[in-house]
Amino acid sequence: MELNSHIPSGPLAEKWDKHKAELKLVNPANKRKFSVIVVGTGLAGASAAATLAELGYQVTAVTYHDSPRRAHSIAAQGGINAAKNYQNDGDSVWRLFYDTIKGGDFRAREANVHRLAQVSVNIIDQCVAQGVPFAREYGGTLSNRSFGGAQVSRTFYARGQTGQQLLLGAYQALSRQIGLGKVKMLNKKEMMDVVVVDGRARGVVIRDLVDGSIETLMGDAVILATGGYGNTFYLSTNAKACNVTAAYRAYKRGAAFANPCFTQIHPTCIPQSGDYQSKLTLMSESLRNDGRIWVPKKQGDTRAPGDIPENERDYYLERKYPSFGNLSPRDIASRAAKEACDDGRGVGPGGKGVYLDFSDAIRRLGQPVIEDRYGNLFEMYERITGENPYEVPMRIYPAVHYTMGGLWVDYNLMSNIPGLFVLGEANFSDHGANRLGASALMQGLADGYFVIPYTIGGYFAKGGLTPVSADAPEARAAVEETTTKVQQLLGINGKRTANSFHRELGKIMWDKCGMARNAKGLNEALQEIPALREEFWQNLTVPGTGAQLNQSLEHASRVADFMEFAELMVRDALHREESCGGHFREEYQTEDGEAKRNDADFTYVAAWEYTGAGSAPTLHKEPLVFENVELATRSYK
Amino acid sequence: MRSFGEVWRSTIFQKWVMAITGILLVLFLVGHLSGNLLIFLGPDAMNGYAVGLRELFHGAALWIVRLGLIVIFVLHVRAGIVLSQRNRKAKGVRNQKFEARSSTVASRSMIYTGLLLLFYVVYHLAHFTWGAAHSEFYHYTDALGRHDVYRMVIESFRQPTIVATYVLAMAVTGLHLNHAIASAFQTLGVSHPRYTPLIKTAGPAVSILLVLGFLSVPLAIAFGVVGG
Amino acid sequence: MNLRLHIWRQSGPTDTGMMKTYDLADVSEHMSFLEMLDVLNEQLSERGEEPVAFEHDCREGICGSCGMVINGRPHGPLPRTTACQLHMRTFKDGDEIYIEPWRARAFPVVRDLVVDRSSFDRIIQSGGFVSVNTGNAQDGNTLPISKKDADYAMDAAACIGCGACVAACPNSSAMLFTSAKIGHLGALPQGQAERYDRAENMVLTMDAEGFGACTNHYECEAACPKGISADFIARMNRDFVMAGLLNR
Repeated sequence: MELNSHIPSGPLAEKWDKHKAELKLVNPANKRKFSVIVVGTGLAGASAAATLAELGYQVTAVTYHDSPRRAHSIAAQGGINAAKNYQNDGDSVWRLFYDTIKGGDFRAREANVHRLAQVSVNIIDQCVAQGVPFAREYGGTLSNRSFGGAQVSRTFYARGQTGQQLLLGAYQALSRQIGLGKVKMLNKKEMMDVVVVDGRARGVVIRDLVDGSIETLMGDAVILATGGYGNTFYLSTNAKACNVTAAYRAYKRGAAFANPCFTQIHPTCIPQSGDYQSKLTLMSESLRNDGRIWVPKKQGDTRAPGDIPENERDYYLERKYPSFGNLSPRDIASRAAKEACDDGRGVGPGGKGVYLDFSDAIRRLGQPVIEDRYGNLFEMYERITGENPYEVPMRIYPAVHYTMGGLWVDYNLMSNIPGLFVLGEANFSDHGANRLGASALMQGLADGYFVIPYTIGGYFAKGGLTPVSADAPEARAAVEETTTKVQQLLGINGKRTANSFHRELGKIMWDKCGMARNAKGLNEALQEIPALREEFWQNLTVPGTGAQLNQSLEHASRVADFMEFAELMVRDALHREESCGGHFREEYQTEDGEAKRNDADFTYVAAWEYTGAGSAPTLHKEPLVFENVELATRSYK
Repeated sequence: MRSFGEVWRSTIFQKWVMAITGILLVLFLVGHLSGNLLIFLGPDAMNGYAVGLRELFHGAALWIVRLGLIVIFVLHVRAGIVLSQRNRKAKGVRNQKFEARSSTVASRSMIYTGLLLLFYVVYHLAHFTWGAAHSEFYHYTDALGRHDVYRMVIESFRQPTIVATYVLAMAVTGLHLNHAIASAFQTLGVSHPRYTPLIKTAGPAVSILLVLGFLSVPLAIAFGVVGG
Repeated sequence: MNLRLHIWRQSGPTDTGMMKTYDLADVSEHMSFLEMLDVLNEQLSERGEEPVAFEHDCREGICGSCGMVINGRPHGPLPRTTACQLHMRTFKDGDEIYIEPWRARAFPVVRDLVVDRSSFDRIIQSGGFVSVNTGNAQDGNTLPISKKDADYAMDAAACIGCGACVAACPNSSAMLFTSAKIGHLGALPQGQAERYDRAENMVLTMDAEGFGACTNHYECEAACPKGISADFIARMNRDFVMAGLLNR
């Protein structure tokens, strides 16, 4: 397998412009001859589908939801970063680039990240033009707030619903193209496989979730914008339907999977309340602007938070990281919370929680200001926990939130399978080992609005695409495989539901491949996962048939892929013998418990190649070259 | 551009027809009521007013108003029927349970109160305008040879069944208007955080005042306050 | 707590469907309503029965997937709360709970509690956007928008497209949904160019989809999990008629 990142030559700041100038163009009359299949209609997929249709390509978009507006991008709360420097506080493209590279613990590509920072400013303009109701100052200008891992205010937001508003902007742009007949939209269809013909991605197999029919869609390029795989852990802040299937099937068809072990654990989630828990709820990181995080100094202190005097509280983030304090990056804040709880100083049921306290902010600014800033988040917290956060500090605990790893792509966002492009969270490219807050929205939209429209043209302009039909042997074989797999799942007739297997898999992953990992645990997981998978294929029960809406079947099919994918994650975590970003290996830490990176041996992207069922995947390394920033120990002290 | 037919058939346009004709009908009621209250000034005022109405512009005014009222009334009733049929169809199968939050008996029964009022209006016209119902009270003339409207009213409302019918009809009117008045403003898009709460209070208040006004006549007669 | 659930079961769009009763024991008060249904579904699956199909995804009250009429109210008894955010502490031991799908001709039932809401998408496709291609935009701060206008637009834009407004409306009218998008875009300078076309096209599409007319019950506003005001309907009524007068 050849991994060529195709990073343009020349100075960092000029690479993207140079590349755009060098990319071949497809003339307007020819664009309508090319068909593109976009799988997933979240921020990245919807923005790509809309923009490609505006350019004149024939676009077919696929989502498993009943509407493109339901994609999980909608749940992002806090905001979107952009290097506008409207606040005159010293922000610049360079600083956003540097913060993102550093935030990612120097495990991302310089060129990709710099491009992201560059186009960030266009995203805000585009979204404003679409009518996204960003927060405004009284004078009518755009408002900003700060987010973790940055010392400038560069986050644009729409109350606590920024993801929703940005997604609706993209959804509306997509809807416009659907209305114009330029995009064919397929709702309630799940992608089950990629069709590769002559080494190029030429189509996908889709299953209709309502009537169970399986068919192929053929085209000249396939774009996967299918999100992350956080639900491997069962409990995560991801939506229930989020899954790894699309990416994993592409992997099985030859696409390299990069850095699967890089998982972000978000520090501010509502703690689990029982075994029936189906998902975890995130409280926006923006809360850390005004909330102070603390635990009691004493172990096993069961007093009510209000009864613990100031001098017996440990504001541990402020203590350990005085310059960033409560706004330390996510991986660091999460680990610090885990440490405090492991030390027996956690609060709430089971000691799995820390306080996020707004009483100082309420005293300083008054309740109305806090209500205006976080009202909906406070309401949500109260609805879920039954506690009023204006009176009692919130209890929070880290939870799986985002996956930095994903399908390997080059600078053009194309995987190693020509014609297969991967956007948004589904690719690995921009966040290294840890993503900064408010950067996921930025990346999704950058990929969809401003990168893929250029780079896909470059791919088409190179030529060499011959017509293929759904009758191609490769297409038929893929349909056949999918049909067989669905039949298999329905035919096991065992005792356990897919949900119970998923929950058990999630527990293994959280315990052994979660916030902190070690070789012993990972090796255990490598034994436990195949055993569980074995049982899954022996003892699964899926009620109903494959010819009607069958949510159990949908879930079972996704869990089947998680079962295999989990092993890949663990393998990657085991091989990376260093601590970086979200990947914390207990064996590799400094004396005061900080992550210890190993730049000499691990400054590379780990890209895994599928080699067949039951055989270990092959590791390929794409070395990361840092020409513009100095590899430094990440310090937020 | 959309054709007039498309716009005319739209729900919102029909709602506007409903609201504008409704407001005109309420204004008519205000005029009607001020005529009715003349009964408290005695036979001369009442009968003089009746003749005045008939003779205004050589009788043309009354017919213009009547024609206008007929058009308004037909449009109002037609829109009501068309929309409610549409609404019934739009719901299709109903839930087994429905718990109201903000709708009221008045708002949910508009089509029924409306249809009852349609029957009432026919009866009311038959009674006082055409003399087809209760014709025994219709053919009086006063000392000046005028149609004795005053006596017709007094004699009619000395009959308990007639009073009861009118009281019932006014209750239905009240229920209809209770929702209708404020609703018309919402439909016409008159909405402002400062004034909408006022309108929402004023609507039911006006409906109650109108109904009390109309009821004052039959009740005053029935209890002997007017007409000795 | 122990509950008796009456749930609408319908195997497919052409089936007539009926209410079925299930007893569920040991429900924790900290569970969300959907987690309670998850537990029921696990039990049904283990007994070899088909679980109750219901839409759900984010379970944070923002994706708009979930939606069921709980005891006669869309999303259940709490104001401004989606079904996924409703927790069982709202109920008490021994309660009987009626769970039914959204009812509207424009939302045909797909299975059990799942309905087809694609009519909402078609309303948006007919005009719920600003026609601006990627790359057309000027600098975001070129166009000052007062905080008041931005907040007002945001109030409308908060719609999650769940369809509770339609379900709550005795007429199954989609006016709140439609007016929220018309109000959001119409309140901003970016949306002015197409303001009247948008109102006209979206309203006529809404009608064509078979939704009912508004009779100002305000049930939609009361049921809306995002608290969107029916004032936006008044605004739409105004815009639609203005479109008839001003649009050429």
